[in-house]
Amino acid sequence: MDGIQTNRVVYTYRLLLAVLSAFVALPLLADEPATAIKGGDLYTITSGIIKNGTILIEDGRISRIGQNVEVPKNAKVIDARGKVVMPGLVAATAEVGIAGFGSTNKIADSLDPFSNSVSMALASGVTTAFVSRGRPSDNNPIGGTNAVIKTTYGDLDNMLVREPVAENVTISSVEWLRKTNFLQNLRKAQNYLQKLDTYTRTKDNNRKQEEPKKPSGIDAYIRLLKRQLPARLQAATAGDILGILELVDEFGIRIILEEVVEGWIVAEEIAKRDVCVIITPRHKRRPNEDISGPSGSTLENAAILKKAGVKLAIVPTSPNFATWGIAGRDLITLPMEAAFAVSGGLDERTALEAITITAAEIIGVADRVGSLQVGKDADIIILDGHPFHHKTFVEVTLVNGKVLYEKKNSTYFAHIQHDN
Amino acid sequence: MQAAAGDMTVIKADRVETITSGMIENGIIVIEDGRIKAIGNDVEIPETADIIDVSDKTVFPGLVNPSSRIGLSASPGGGPSSNPHYRIVDELYPHQDVYQRILRAGFTTVGLVPGGTGVTGQGAIVRPMGRKPEEMIVAESELLTIGFQANDSNKKIIKDALESAKSKTSSSDPRVKPLVNALQGKVPTFLTCRGPGEMLHLMKLLKPYGKMRLVLIAGSEKYRIAGQLADKKIPVVLPAQTDFEPPTRNRINVPAMLADAGVKIALRPRADTIQGHEDFFRQIAELVKSGLDQEIAKKAITIHPAEMLGVDYRLGSLEAGKDANLLILSGAPMDVGTRIHMVMMEGKIVHKAP
Repeated sequence: MDGIQTNRVVYTYRLLLAVLSAFVALPLLADEPATAIKGGDLYTITSGIIKNGTILIEDGRISRIGQNVEVPKNAKVIDARGKVVMPGLVAATAEVGIAGFGSTNKIADSLDPFSNSVSMALASGVTTAFVSRGRPSDNNPIGGTNAVIKTTYGDLDNMLVREPVAENVTISSVEWLRKTNFLQNLRKAQNYLQKLDTYTRTKDNNRKQEEPKKPSGIDAYIRLLKRQLPARLQAATAGDILGILELVDEFGIRIILEEVVEGWIVAEEIAKRDVCVIITPRHKRRPNEDISGPSGSTLENAAILKKAGVKLAIVPTSPNFATWGIAGRDLITLPMEAAFAVSGGLDERTALEAITITAAEIIGVADRVGSLQVGKDADIIILDGHPFHHKTFVEVTLVNGKVLYEKKNSTYFAHIQHDN
Repeated sequence: MQAAAGDMTVIKADRVETITSGMIENGIIVIEDGRIKAIGNDVEIPETADIIDVSDKTVFPGLVNPSSRIGLSASPGGGPSSNPHYRIVDELYPHQDVYQRILRAGFTTVGLVPGGTGVTGQGAIVRPMGRKPEEMIVAESELLTIGFQANDSNKKIIKDALESAKSKTSSSDPRVKPLVNALQGKVPTFLTCRGPGEMLHLMKLLKPYGKMRLVLIAGSEKYRIAGQLADKKIPVVLPAQTDFEPPTRNRINVPAMLADAGVKIALRPRADTIQGHEDFFRQIAELVKSGLDQEIAKKAITIHPAEMLGVDYRLGSLEAGKDANLLILSGAPMDVGTRIHMVMMEGKIVHKAP
C-alpha cells in the first residue's frame, strides 16, 4: 500500500515537474545539459555515506542524489567509480582570491578570479573560503572587512557569496585600550538602542519627544547587539577566552573565537554560551609556569571542545595556499589538519564536518555549501581515497557544477601517481 | 618640416611592404608635399622628381608605438586621482636625445601617455622630432587614459568622473571636455590594469558607457580573458615578449594567443627605453619564431597601433594619400642582418645610415 502511494506521489510530482519545465523552466534548462557524477562513495556529511551513488547537477546545483538516480540521456557523466565524492572543502580562514595590491574597503571590488591562489585552492579541494582585508587601526577594536568567496576560477560574477559575514574585532588582555573602547562603544550603542526603543513605543502619545540622535561610529556595534553579524576575534589563552565570554553575558552578542589554543581548559564555559570556535589542532603553546592552573596546548583540544558541545571548524597553521610541499602546514592539506584532531581523539565524522558543514555554518553560508544535499551549490570534490589518508589526492573539483580542476590536466600534481 | 609645394620625390625599391595591400615587387612610390601620391610597380615617374634609387632595398612603413612614456619623467606615485584636464604636451621636453634615437630606430609615431592611476589625463600622438612640443604633435585627437586598480577608491574616482560627463554633449570645461569626447567615442580611451581579473572588474565598470573606444594596454596574462576581449572587440597593446605561464616556467606567446582568439593586437617595445626601441625588430622576430603570424606581426607594429590611436587615416601603412613616413631597410624586416638604411618623415629624409 505504502509503496503504491509513494509511487503515485512521485508520479504526480514528475508530471507536475514536466509541465512546469515545459512552460516555465525551459529557458533555464536549455542553458546547459545536466552533469552526473556516477558510481562513487558519496560522503554527504549531513546524511552519511551513500555507497555507489549518483549526484545529478542542474543549473549549478545538486538536483538529485542517491543510489537510484535516473541520469538524463544528454547529461555529461563523470565516472567516480572507486572514488570518494564529497562537498568542496570550506576554509574558515583563508588568504585567497583577492588582488594582492592596494587597499580596499570592499572585498567585492578587489576579487581576482585569476589569482594563482584560486587555482591552488581548487587543486586542494577548497571551494569556499572566509577572507578578510584590513585590520582595526590604532586603538579602534573593529576594522577591515571580510567576506565569503567561492573559488570560481575565471568567473568574477559568481565569486562573492556574502560580504561582510562578521565584524573583525581585535581585543586582548595586552591591549587594554582596545577592550575599553570596545566596551564603551557597545554600551553607547546599547544606550542608543534603548532610547530609540522607548521613543518608537511612545512617540504616538507624546509628540513633543525628539528622536534620539545616533552617536557616530557605532553602526558596527549596533549590528553586533542586534545579532545581525557575529564578532570574530582571536583568543588563545584561557584567560583571554574567559574575558571575551563575559561579553556574551553582558551584551548577548554572537561570537566566533579563533585560535582557542587553551580552549580545552574552559570548554564547558565556551559551550554554555554557544560560542563557535575555529581551531588549529597542531597549534603549539608551552604551559605558562607562572599560573597555578592548567595551561598550554594539547592535541586533544578539538576532542575536548567537541565533548563539551562546542561547534568547531578546523584550519591549518597558515591560512594561505603555497607550494611548501605536499604535507605542508597550509590550506593545501586542510584535511590533514583535521586528521590531527582525529589523532587527538576527535571522532572522524566531526573532523570532516569541521572542514565542511560546520565551517560553513560558522562563516554563515551553510544554506549554500558544506554538504551534498539537494538544492545546495554543486561544489563537489572527487578524491582517490579517504579524505584523511595521507596519500589521498583531489582528482576533480567542481564549483557551481563546473569542472574547474582535474589533477590529470594540471601542472600541480599530475606527475604524482600512486600504484594502488 | 613639410616639403615645399610641388616638390616630388620618387623611391624605386626592390620590395614595398604596404601592410594594407600586400607586397609590391619592384615598387615605386611617388611622394608629393610629404604625402604618398602614387604607389605600385606600374607608376609613371614624373620627370621633375628627385629619384631615390634603392632598388636593392625594402620599404616598410614607419613604426608606430601606441603607448609609451619615453622621454617623460617617472609616473607619479601615490593614490588614484582624477586629472582629465592634464595634458601630456605640458610635460613634454623636445630637446632630448631619446627622440632622435628612437626616430633612427624606425619609430615615426609615438603615443605618449600620462602615468599614474585613476583618470590620468590626455595622451598625445607625437613624431619624435621637433624643437617645440607643438611641432611634435601629429594630430589633435587626444586620447584619454585611465589607470585602473581593483579597489573601491579607484573605482569610485573613475565612476564619478565618467558620471559627471555622461549627460553632457559638449563642454568647454577642461576637466569635463576630455571625458565627454571619450564617452562619445570621439577619442580613444587607453586602459591600464594589472591582471586579467582586474580587467573583468574594469569591463564591468565601463559597461554602461557603450560608445567608448577602449584600448587595453596590457602586461602578460591577459590571454586568460582572450575570449571576452574578442567578444567586446577591445584591441590590446602588448609588450613584444614571450612570457611564463603562471605559475610555471613554460613559455607562452601571449600576442599569438590573443591574435588566434581574434583580438586585434599592437606591439610595443618590451622595455620603454632607447635600447628597447632599437631592438624592436628582433623582439618581433622572436615572437614570430614562437608562433605569431608574420603578417599579423607586421600589422601589429604599423596599422593596428595607428588604428588604436585613431590616426590610421594618415599613418600606419603605405597607401596613396597617407603621410610619407617610411623606412628603407637593407632587407626583410625580421631578418637578423637587416639594417635601417633611411628613415623618411613626411617626405623628408630625417635619418640616413652612415
